[in-house]
Amino acid sequence: MKEKKLTRRGFMGAAAGVAAFTVVPRSVLGGAGQTPPSEKVNIAGVGIGGQGGSDLRSLEKETNIVALCDVDWRHASGCFKRYPNAKQYKDFREMLDKEDKNIDGVVVGTPDHMHAIVSIAAMKRGKHVYCEKPLTHTVREARMMAEIARERKLATQMGNQGQAGEEVRLLCETIWDGAIGQVREVHVWTDRPLNGTNKWYWPQGVDRPTGEDPIPESLNWDLWLGPAPMRPYKNRVYNPFVWRGWWDFGTGALGDIGCHSLDPVFRALKLGYPTSVEACCTMVNNETYPVASRVTYEFPARGDLAPVTVHWCDGGMRAPRPPELEDGRRLDTNGTLFVGDKGKMLNGRLLPESRQKEYGRPPKKLERSPGHYTEWVIACKGGKPAGSNFPDHAGLLAQVVLLGNVALRPALKEPKVFGTKLLWDAKEFKFTNMPEANQYLTKAYREGWAI
Amino acid sequence: METKKNRTMSRRDLLRGTAGAAAFTIVPSHVLAGAAGQRPSDKLNLAAIGIGGMGAYNISQCSTENFVALCDVDDAYAAKVFDKFPNAKKYKDFRVMLDKEDKNIDGVVIATPDHTHYVVAMACLKHGKHIYLQKPLAHSILEVRKLTEAARAAKVQTQMGNQGHSSDEIRMLYEWIADGAIGPVREVYTWSDRPVGGDPWSDFPVMARPKDTPPVPATLDWDLWLGPAQYRPYHPVYCPTTWRGWWDFGTGALGDMGCHILDPAFWTLKLGHPTRVEATTTHYQPEVASETYPRAAIIRYEFPARGDMPPVKLTWLDGRLLPPRPQDLEPGRRLEGNGALLIGDKGTIMHGSHGAGGVRIIPEVKMKAYIRPNKAIPRVKGGQSGHEQDWIRACKDGKPASSSFDYGGPLTEMVLLGVLAMRVKDTPLEYDPVNLKVANNSEANKYINPVFREGWAL
Repeated sequence: MKEKKLTRRGFMGAAAGVAAFTVVPRSVLGGAGQTPPSEKVNIAGVGIGGQGGSDLRSLEKETNIVALCDVDWRHASGCFKRYPNAKQYKDFREMLDKEDKNIDGVVVGTPDHMHAIVSIAAMKRGKHVYCEKPLTHTVREARMMAEIARERKLATQMGNQGQAGEEVRLLCETIWDGAIGQVREVHVWTDRPLNGTNKWYWPQGVDRPTGEDPIPESLNWDLWLGPAPMRPYKNRVYNPFVWRGWWDFGTGALGDIGCHSLDPVFRALKLGYPTSVEACCTMVNNETYPVASRVTYEFPARGDLAPVTVHWCDGGMRAPRPPELEDGRRLDTNGTLFVGDKGKMLNGRLLPESRQKEYGRPPKKLERSPGHYTEWVIACKGGKPAGSNFPDHAGLLAQVVLLGNVALRPALKEPKVFGTKLLWDAKEFKFTNMPEANQYLTKAYREGWAI
Repeated sequence: METKKNRTMSRRDLLRGTAGAAAFTIVPSHVLAGAAGQRPSDKLNLAAIGIGGMGAYNISQCSTENFVALCDVDDAYAAKVFDKFPNAKKYKDFRVMLDKEDKNIDGVVIATPDHTHYVVAMACLKHGKHIYLQKPLAHSILEVRKLTEAARAAKVQTQMGNQGHSSDEIRMLYEWIADGAIGPVREVYTWSDRPVGGDPWSDFPVMARPKDTPPVPATLDWDLWLGPAQYRPYHPVYCPTTWRGWWDFGTGALGDMGCHILDPAFWTLKLGHPTRVEATTTHYQPEVASETYPRAAIIRYEFPARGDMPPVKLTWLDGRLLPPRPQDLEPGRRLEGNGALLIGDKGTIMHGSHGAGGVRIIPEVKMKAYIRPNKAIPRVKGGQSGHEQDWIRACKDGKPASSSFDYGGPLTEMVLLGVLAMRVKDTPLEYDPVNLKVANNSEANKYINPVFREGWAL
């Protein structure tokens, strides 16, 4: 039993029966996706100008890209050129209607506020979904995505590519080998959003600009907004890319990086839902996420594993320096520190480095991945579920990440609840000690948009 | 009344040196400097430098005494206070004032921006004046050390403007800690909502140096405002109020609030000099980071064991960041925007910003069950509001004020070491308090010993 737990499938928490499916073609199970292993999966991309386009490039050899959709055709032009045979759409709903028979799966690379809208529409048509991280814009959407994918037995994968890598496997194996003993404390930090200091990052802690700019001809602004409340278009304020910092569209630094950097923590420590989430931050308003925040999650004991506190920190601030870190070495701008009873691991390596050298490699217990994108393709063909599939992993991870954003809501922070810890009841899907926080688990959808 | 008046008059004459200089030469200088033999009913003759902002409040708290001279680099900013004291001489340059009024003043209240604390206070000390000086004591560690030593050598009475140090509550805290109310303390958290607390004195912008050069207001002597700081063109983002946010003039949120919020732990735990300090801050653009303090910072200090007290890890958080919510705090009870947590082996104490205000053992049931020790530390008359008067009392009876430089100096050094750590953030600094050096980082050392503009000496 213990041995089994340590297999990759086991630690992902997949249902016991899943093992049997690996040799059975998906069609036998009656789920969607009729593609036999010998044929290519037909996919469509929605939101293709940024990371979505990059996802398609990673999938182009193993799939047929048959349709492309973006609300901004200028932004999408590079992708259109690369796949000249794919049909072009602006409205994903129209695409799903017209291409229903031609596509097996959809790759969603829209801004966060559209993820669930597009993904759920696709899944309701029985399409497999590859969706960028963080899975969704709200906690409720993340839970829904996991439920729908499970019910319909669809092949799903979230865009946290790191999960397929060697590093996370070595980390898990080292920790399961007992190299640092019981882990009760983890620190995860990122330099995002870097205060919007270069073109790769985005502003937070700013207010909504006044005025209005002419909407570029290539862009359907109404469609870009989707379920979000209407607001005037402003050039380069919301799109492309810099939507991340706005409450209405993005999920801030935590949403951007949390699904990457907390993923190994979830896997190595077999985390489920936390019992509490607590957040503090620099001045925050109702428009954008703060310049910097700290979020603390408490997770209960899991079997033999001790309760653990996970400390998140963004905006450029770093974890307390571990005394084991050698003089002259600095903590990186982004990092993860596991604090165990018998040692520490920084960015996947034991501290100090001499200990890592002495320890060498852990016993190999986890299956290696054929690659993050290939995992999804295999799953689409009825193979093994992908490593970051929605029901078993990504849904949970995204919910937990987004719970942190709920705790950052300005209305919950002042004046009366400065420093309040939200107690989370995962089963009932609510905070037990602050009912007014529950409204932020979901959001209002603009008329005409529903999940 | 007659006798008092006579005495006052005679003393004033003495100080002014009007009645005949020859007679005064036989009066020992320490009598004048230390005001030994002066009676409490005698009024001090005071001057004030930097009077438009916090200085105005400090002056009003000293209204029992005579203000004979007032000095500010900005007539307009000082106008309200000037008007209140029509008989006081008005000056722009503190050096001129000290020269001209040397014989007429016993003490000086100083509330200039941080970057001129040192030059102003040192000049006053050289003239043998008692000093009430706003916190933080100075702008750099070396300045603080020199002022502390010079004040001791001058044998004058000093008080740093961390008024919380005169509170009843900080004394209560001292007694509780000494009583073992929460056992040995190994961990302390301190925090502040600055630089966005909503207080115009403490809020400051995070920005690059402005490129526009508005004209200097006619009322302002900009060169004098800059004092020892390197020259830069005038801009209203520096003065009168928001200099705190600029490296060259202020000491940031930590320098502003640290002397209040760190004071109780520093005193009651007898922390002394830290051995190690490390800062991490929000990221900001290089052109901004080179000019202003960050939006938020976390400073982590390590203090060694002191006698039978164990080593302490002390964390400072600003920019509205908070420590982890303590387990002992009852649900629904909030953390204030500014405060501290002292975590002992047997319990936790929480307090607010100034002078351990609102100090409580948490949770409340534990506070209520605690049998308080007898008062062992004498209280300051008037508590926190009596801070300025405690200095006046010291000037008159010769017994040190509650936060004399002998205390305020080391407290500020500790605070400024954290400020220094922000300059070389994410690097642990090992501090050698004897030689005033960071042992393991040469870059850090240049901030201990700043370069003054020509014409200004350190």
